[in-house]
Parts: sequence; C-alpha cells; structure tokens
Amino acid sequence: MNVALFLPCYVDQLAPDVAWATLRVLERAGCQVDYDPDQGCCGQPFLNRGALREARALASRHLRCFAGAAAVVSPSSSCVATVRRRFGELGVSGAHESGPRTFELSEFLVRVLGKTQLGARFPYRVAMLQSCHGLRELGLGTPSERAGGELAPSPLESLLRAVEDLALVSVERPDECCGFGGAFSVTHPTLSARIGRARLRAMADAGAQYVTGTDASCLLHLDGIRRREGFGPRAIHLAEILANGASVPELAS
Amino acid sequence: MSERDDILARVRQGAPRRTRHPGLHPPPALPGGWDVFAAALAGVGGEAHGPYSPHALGGALKELVRRRAEGGRAVAEPSAAELAGRGPWETAREPATAHAFADVGVALVKGCAAAADCAAVAVTESDAPHRALPFLCQRLVLLLPVSLLAPDLHRAWALVPAAAARGHHVTWISGPSKTADIEQVLVYGAHGPLGLDVVGIAD
Amino acid sequence: MTTSFDQRALATLPSRGELAQHDAAVWNLRLRRDAAAAEVPDWEALRERAAALKAFTLDHLDELLIGFEEKARAAGAHVHWATDATALCRIVTELLSARGARRVVKSKSMLTEECGLNPHLEARGIEVIDTDLGERIVQLAEEKPSHLIVPAIHKTRREIGALFHRHMGTPEGEDDPERLTRFARADLRRRFLAADAGISGVNFAVAETGSIVIVSNEGNVDLGTSLPTLHIACLGIEKLVPALADLPVFLRLLARSATGQPISAYTSVLTGPRAGGELHIVLVDNGRSALLSNETQRGALACIRCGACLNTCPVYRRAGGHAYGSVIPGPIGSVLGPALGGAAGAELPHASTLCGSCSAVCPVKIDLHGQLLAWRGERYRPPPAERLLSLGAALALRWPVLRGLARAALRLLWPLLARRHSRNPAEAWLAARELPPLPKHSFRAQWKQRERGRE
Repeated sequence: MNVALFLPCYVDQLAPDVAWATLRVLERAGCQVDYDPDQGCCGQPFLNRGALREARALASRHLRCFAGAAAVVSPSSSCVATVRRRFGELGVSGAHESGPRTFELSEFLVRVLGKTQLGARFPYRVAMLQSCHGLRELGLGTPSERAGGELAPSPLESLLRAVEDLALVSVERPDECCGFGGAFSVTHPTLSARIGRARLRAMADAGAQYVTGTDASCLLHLDGIRRREGFGPRAIHLAEILANGASVPELAS
Repeated sequence: MSERDDILARVRQGAPRRTRHPGLHPPPALPGGWDVFAAALAGVGGEAHGPYSPHALGGALKELVRRRAEGGRAVAEPSAAELAGRGPWETAREPATAHAFADVGVALVKGCAAAADCAAVAVTESDAPHRALPFLCQRLVLLLPVSLLAPDLHRAWALVPAAAARGHHVTWISGPSKTADIEQVLVYGAHGPLGLDVVGIAD
Repeated sequence: MTTSFDQRALATLPSRGELAQHDAAVWNLRLRRDAAAAEVPDWEALRERAAALKAFTLDHLDELLIGFEEKARAAGAHVHWATDATALCRIVTELLSARGARRVVKSKSMLTEECGLNPHLEARGIEVIDTDLGERIVQLAEEKPSHLIVPAIHKTRREIGALFHRHMGTPEGEDDPERLTRFARADLRRRFLAADAGISGVNFAVAETGSIVIVSNEGNVDLGTSLPTLHIACLGIEKLVPALADLPVFLRLLARSATGQPISAYTSVLTGPRAGGELHIVLVDNGRSALLSNETQRGALACIRCGACLNTCPVYRRAGGHAYGSVIPGPIGSVLGPALGGAAGAELPHASTLCGSCSAVCPVKIDLHGQLLAWRGERYRPPPAERLLSLGAALALRWPVLRGLARAALRLLWPLLARRHSRNPAEAWLAARELPPLPKHSFRAQWKQRERGRE
C-alpha cells in the first residue's frame, strides 16, 4: 500500500529518529512510503494561538502538498486531529476530502492495515501516554470520562501488548493530560510543569522505566522535566519501540 | 420600549428556531422495588422502615416517633395524621405561621411518589401545607404507600398528580440535610433535618 | 510570554503541599462523578437528550421566556426583567426597600455574585447573609468562592474554625467539621427565623408552568424562601427548560456530575407564591442575549452549573479557583470569560491545554475545549513581538529556502537557547525543563542525503 509520510515540524527538526523509525515500521508493515521534503506544517501551533490567517495559509499548503496521496500517515495524533477535526472549521477548501485519508501511525497500523504484531522486542516496564488529541479528538481508545460500555483498548495499547517482553504498567489517572498543550507550555510554564511533574510522578510510582505514546511533543515535554528533576521514566516514541525489532536500545544515563 | 422588550428583541435575534424538541426520555431499565429504594436511602443517610400493613403501621410509627422525638414535640401534617392514626404527635393546624414550628422535634409528612434509584420522595403542597415544617424539624418521617414507588425519576415524576404538580410546591426529598463544605467531610443536618426516615405502607 | 494567569496560579497554591491537597480534593469529586455515572445505564443517552433539550431551549428562547412569564404571572408571581447587573441590583433594592426589609437571607446564586448584589445591598444598609455553608464561610472570610459547588474547598478546617471563632463565638481551636457545622446550623437558623426576605438563585425555570426549580443539599433554600414572606428569585435568561416532564433528564445528571450523589437532598418545584407570601422572579440578561447570537459560543448557555468540568480540569486543579479572577472559574468560566467575565476573562481561553476532558464530562455536552479554541481565533490580539514571530515562522514553513536559513540559525543559537538567562526567549521552557539536544541534521536533510546517495 502507498503511504505518504506526514511529519510534525518538531519531529523533523528535533527528533528525526522518530521519523526514521516511523518509516521503518511502515515499510515492515508492507507499505511503500513516500516522503515529500517540501511539506511544511499543518498549522496547528498557529491555530492553537488563534493566528487564523497563518493557520489557513499553512492548511491550504498542506492540502495541496498531500493532494495526490491515497493515505497520509503521521507519528502525531495532534497533527492528524488538526487535519481531520479543525481544517473544516478553518474553511479551507478540500478539507473534508483530505480528512478521512489522514491517519495517526498506531491507528493506521491497527485499524487500517489490521496489524498489531510487528516483530518488535522491548524488555522494559513501560507506561503509556494516551495523548489527549488522539484519545478525545480521534477516538483512539475510550476516554476514562465515558460511562458505561467496555473500555476498548487503544491501537497504542494493542501494539504495545504485542511487543515481546514489554511490560505495560498501569498508572493512576491513566489519561490525564501531560501538560504540554502547545503554546501553553511556554505561556503558562508553571502550570505546564506542575501537570507534567504529576504525570511523571504517577508513572514513576507505577514503576515505569519508559513512557511511550503517539505524540513526540508530549514526550519531549515530559522528558525535559525528567532531565531537570532527575526522576521518572525515559521517553521513547511508539515508532521507536516498534522499529527496534530484535535489537535492544541502550539504557544510557 | 421597555427593558423586557429590549431583552426579548435581542434574544429573538439569536433564536433561529432550527431544532425540534427531542421528546420524552424513555425510562431506563432499572429493577426498582422497596429493597432498591431502602439501599439507595441508606446511601444518602436516611433509613427505610417496613413496608407495614395498614394495621401494623400505627404501632410501628408510635415506636419510631418516640425514638426520634427524644422527648421533644412531634407534629403530623393532616394527610399523614389520617394515615398514622393517633399517637404521640399533634396534627398541624391551620392557620399557623411557619415560625410556630421552630421547636418541632419530629415531623410526619406523607409522600405522593418516590423514585427507587435515587431515594427521592415527592411531597406536595396538599400533603405539606406548612412548607417550612419538613425543614424546621430536627427529624423528618415520611410516609410512603409502596404502590407510589417507581423504579426511576421519570416514572416517579409521572406519578405526581397533575393538579399537585401545578400547586405551589412539589419538593423531592432524598435523605436528610447534608453538607461537605468543610474539608469535604460529610455532615448530616446542615440546616434542615438531621435525620430522615421513610416508612413504607403496603397495600 | 508568561501571562498573569500562570503567576496567579503560583500565588493561589504556592506550596507543593497546598497544590497536592487542592488537586487531590478536587480530583476526588471527579472520581465520585465517574462512580455515579457508571450506575446509570443510560448515562450517555441522557447527556444527548439533555444537550438536545438545551439546544431546543436556546433556539426558542424568546418564545419560552414569554410563555414562562405568562404562566408565572397566572400563578401569582411577579416577573421583572433586568438588562444588566445594575438593573438587577436596582430591582432587588426597590423590592426590599418598599417593604422595609433590612435582613435578608440568600442561598447560592452565581448570578447575584456576577452582578455584585451583596456589596450593593450592604452599601445601602441591608444585611445579606449567605446561607450555604460554603458561601457563608467565604462571606465571613471576605473572599470570593473558588469552586462552583464547594465554594470553600480552598480553606482548611483550622482556617474555618478560626473564622467561626471570630464571627460566631465558637471555642478557640475548635476545628471539628461536624461541631463547626452544628454551630453554623444554630446561628443560621436564628437568621432564617428573623429574616425579612429571602433571595435565591434558580436552577431551572419551566416555561410550561411558570415554575422555578431550586436544588440544595442543606435545606437552606427551602428555609430561606418559606420563612420570610418575600422571596426574590434571580435567574439568567438561559435557565429555561420547556416542560415539567423534561426536568428528570437534568436532575438525573446534575447531582451525579457535581458530587457523585444520585440527586440533591432537596429539589423544590415552586409555582407561584406560597399562601400569605410574595414571589418576585427577576430574569437577567447581563450579556446572555449577545452571547446567544454568537454562533460558535452560544453553546455555553446550556450550562447547568454542575462543576464537573472544574473537577476534571488539570489546570483548575493545579491553579485553584482564585487564579481565574472571574466569578466562575474552571473551563466553563474560561468559556464565558471573554463574553461575561470582564477584563480578566479575556485571556482565560489561553489558560488551557485543550485536553478535552471538560467536554467529555459535561452533562449537557458543551464543546468546551472547542469553544476555548474558537475564542483564541475570534479575539486574536497578540503583542507585536509575537505577531512578528508568528508571521516569520509561517513564512519559513511555507518557503523551503527560508526554512534552510532558519535551521542554520537554530544550529547557531541552540547552545545559547539552552542556557538559562532572563533575556533568553526559551526561558519559559527552561524554567522547569531541559531543552532536548538539537540533532545535527533535520530528518528532511538526512532524507535528501540518502536520496542523493541512491542516485
């Protein structure tokens, strides 16, 4: 299957390993992956601040860039949520047509390709970070607020449970926000840190060695706190766990 | 144009009449019954008794009121007094100012409908003509014919007679008065009664 | 880029202990809501129904208001209309003065708080006693409520004990919640019995019958409105519901969402005045009709003031209600802020991570986080520095050439950005976090290199 890779700007600039891992995982799952280096930004940071003119311009450019793709996949649930849920509100032409073709990585693997087993091994205790956009905007799993009905496991959880020797730890308040919130992380740094610290503490209390999830932005924020405070699980993106295959990453200090 | 007309004109601009009334909510599938009601009542700090047959009711009530009144004054609203018969309580007379009930230990009032899942009992104006009485008393005793107990609030709502529903008041009472405003510690008897007993009356 | 909300959060919950205590106490209410909702087999369907009922109400609000007024008057109540806070205060003052009422008992009404009624009356020599225990506590402390349902959640028993000792003569050092409540019970009972008038809020106003519905756990609403002969009920115009039979939908959602109880201890449906009494209903606009015309924001008028969004909000729990500087804190306060919340209200939509938990718990399904995002676009007025940065960044992201330049600049500046300094634009990030190391090349550059290698 042909897939166009859609990378958040911060993954491109700050976490290229996540991009390479995403590429490898998609190829291992049997996809032909195309990457257009001219792609820009979906416009989320601008939309998040209310800069609608810039957001619209970037959204139009994004749609033009990915116009021909049969499926667009991104290692970021918040970027995908912006395309699927917010482009329409921005009134950008072609928004509704591109929406359903854009998927977050775990969602694509499990719900589109029907694959959970990718031959990965990761012998550590891992906490899941259920990113808010993925959970509540894209429906990647059942949020804890929902009453009644079974709690369907998220694609993230399904994939992690299929990883050899990986022990998923259960954390209190499993889907509480990590406190990143985009611009919020720098406009409200005290609160952003308070919320993030609390998540790290809960994961540490649950015995997690690693924290993983679908959004590198949340993970960078938590890992930044970990490196400052000196406690808490190390962050690693889902794609990096799945891409490891038989190799084991070093637990560098 | 009056203030009223100004407000309505502005509201009219923002009220485009696009949606339809969604209709009545279908009642949920809940078991109901006296045991469910009693458990729910206990959960909100009240206590259920009986149900008693009409013969046994009088004796049970006398015992309960003696226990709850602790030597204080007991007053029954007329429709409750009719059910309860004679006992260590006076019947509330007309006319009486609300303040005349400030020293009441136990009040007896009849309920006209109840919902089992939330232990709420409806008290209407005709059964509680002295509106302040169920709130001024130290302990409240509600009399409830079990035939008026519905599994849920929707069905209980429909049991309140239409005329009563348009009377001055219908108050749904679930448990005694309570508060948790001080460090979230639950305390019964904030301003209203310290305790609530619901006495069931079998057919 | 630090905003004053963040600073106020630090001032409201300054120590780790206070922060942890506030967060835990409020989260506890969210857990109780979860447990209560789990016991309602049709919970999600009920939310849908409630949302639809409120949508219908708002769409037909003028008709319903006229219907309500007609039925209320037919039942013997007086109905007044107040355009704004000033009008409400004027109407209430006139009603009280005309009857020589000088001692008033009041039950919870965020609307009267919004309109500044208490200070207005007190300035005219009218004593107003808030009778909800939590409201009474903050009244004695001369503070604003910090939570919709538990107004004194920020106060410890020791602080409350000291307050009661000073104002009610409780023994010094007494801080047992039950004993303190008993003292308040006795004190407020005297006031109920001596009051000339009772003022209350209204939870729901029924158009079909002209009834007002008021709920409480303490019984203070009923005492305050059945003992004095004059009852003044104040409500925002959005508080209508179409018919009596619609009430169970809201009642089954309200208390469970607020505190996890199946229903409030007392739910009173009042139609017309009681025998020998007077009922005056005041319908208040104060910006609501304008909000109704705002297509994106009018959904906020469906709010039934349960407080569930506060309890689940990671920001509210770690900032505290007083950080908001508005009458109503939390997500709904932030949604109403730009329309009804004055100067402090304008920046509240940015005090959120947009996690969406609020929308997921709202019993009437208000798209709270969606509305916060919409306000940011509607009221976009950034400082010039941010405007420039935003334009520059957008350009760089659209033009590959500029992107390359920006990357080169980032490579040069990164070591400086990682160092803590008050002039460092990255200081807000660095206050509590390390910057990640900057990889030598972006993915884009690595990809291009790989492609060149393959050719």
